[in-house]
Amino acid sequence: MSETVKQILDRFQSDPYMGRQGKVYTDTSDFMRITGGDVLVFGDGHYLVLRDEVERSYGVEDPKYWVKRCRHLESGQRRLLKLVFYEKFKLQMGDIKITCYRSPRKEARILDLVRGDSRFMQGFSAEDEKGNTIRVLDVVMGKRLDNWIYGLDVDHKTYFFEYLPKILEKFIGACEAIAYLHANGEKHGDIRRDHLWRETHTGDYVWIDFDYTFDFHENPFGLDIFGLGGLLLYIVGKGFYSQKDIIRRLGDEKKAPDMDPADFLLVFKNRLANLQKIFPYIPKELNWVLMHFSAGASVYYETVDEFLSDLRPCLKNMG
Amino acid sequence: METNKILVAIDGSENSKRAVEYVADIVKGCRDFEITLLHIERLPDRDIFPDEEAWKKACVGHRQKIDAFLSDNKQMIADYGIPQKMVSTDYVESCHSPLSEDPAYCSRGTSIAHDILHVAEKEHFGTVVIGRRGVSKAEEFMFGSVSNKIIHSGKDCTIWVVQ
Repeated sequence: MSETVKQILDRFQSDPYMGRQGKVYTDTSDFMRITGGDVLVFGDGHYLVLRDEVERSYGVEDPKYWVKRCRHLESGQRRLLKLVFYEKFKLQMGDIKITCYRSPRKEARILDLVRGDSRFMQGFSAEDEKGNTIRVLDVVMGKRLDNWIYGLDVDHKTYFFEYLPKILEKFIGACEAIAYLHANGEKHGDIRRDHLWRETHTGDYVWIDFDYTFDFHENPFGLDIFGLGGLLLYIVGKGFYSQKDIIRRLGDEKKAPDMDPADFLLVFKNRLANLQKIFPYIPKELNWVLMHFSAGASVYYETVDEFLSDLRPCLKNMG
Repeated sequence: METNKILVAIDGSENSKRAVEYVADIVKGCRDFEITLLHIERLPDRDIFPDEEAWKKACVGHRQKIDAFLSDNKQMIADYGIPQKMVSTDYVESCHSPLSEDPAYCSRGTSIAHDILHVAEKEHFGTVVIGRRGVSKAEEFMFGSVSNKIIHSGKDCTIWVVQ
């Protein structure tokens, strides 16, 4: 007869688990049923489910039922388990809708590719008894990079001269990590602010979540490059700025610089790309890189290497 | 470059059908032209399928659809009164195809435009014809544009873009 949760916990933990004692699962297909207090058994491991992961956005908590926060009972370590969830959805980017897919196979493959590379989240994949590809992930101990930057309690000018050079150096490293994926025929698939984290102890930047994919033929890495451009804009500006934000900052509409649609991002038309207009100390070379993502651009970056070959000299000039 | 050799790139869309019609309309009544309908295989992304079987099935479906499209368009050209011997088809397989028959040249999947231009150069086509779907600036940034890339990268041939 197979073990109960209580028997498993008694075997692994000296202190008794005080919460709900649920079921033991060896088949994770019905992930909605699996919840705190259940134990997942697959590969060589036992994982006690603590709770469903939640995504926090604009103060709203959105549960991700296919991602479980767990304790690996053999080691006592915290782990994130991503269970198989096939999802096809339309990602809205400005006026463009992109069909995206969630692919456990892709994420499992990238975890193998980047094993031991601290620029990426770490983990491995294993199959449950029904052949579902579960990704077992180390928890990144840190904070979203954008939240960390937002939380720096300094004005933009201080930020720009005292913090940005170091941040930009690390961001270039993060871009090189994406170039490494591309060189190996892989794409991150979902480069956005909440997928680049800053590890607390090392200060290293770590990419997370590689399970998105999409079917672009002529420019397979275009979305990743656009994502990097958006992140760079946030990092340089210490935030995004709409026309309203600019007026609010200046306190008077008449003081706002002249701006036209070409100064804003090509895709998110309410985000100012031409940051030099509100922060005149931004060097023209760095502003030029940002302007490649603006509605006024006539040339786009087709590879991360092109993007980096313009960005690296900006860092040198700031030092 | 051989000016009487025309390469029409097709992807199974209405735009590429229009390109074929345009070429047929121009060439009808002319002698000694060679028309090749070229398809660069773009398989559905492997990662969007739960397993290899499902992906392979989708790849077979894709190939059948394009084979039918090539055959229909070849017939359409014949309906313009152009002799069948003047028309051929070329299907360039993806290097990653599970149905691969070990072709001499396969598409690595990084750029359809470069694959088309490679065939044009290798086989001395004087004219390359491509349909255009018409994309916004933002779409071109994100998804790329085969026709724009061909216009910018093509050399030693004439390029017709049929809108």
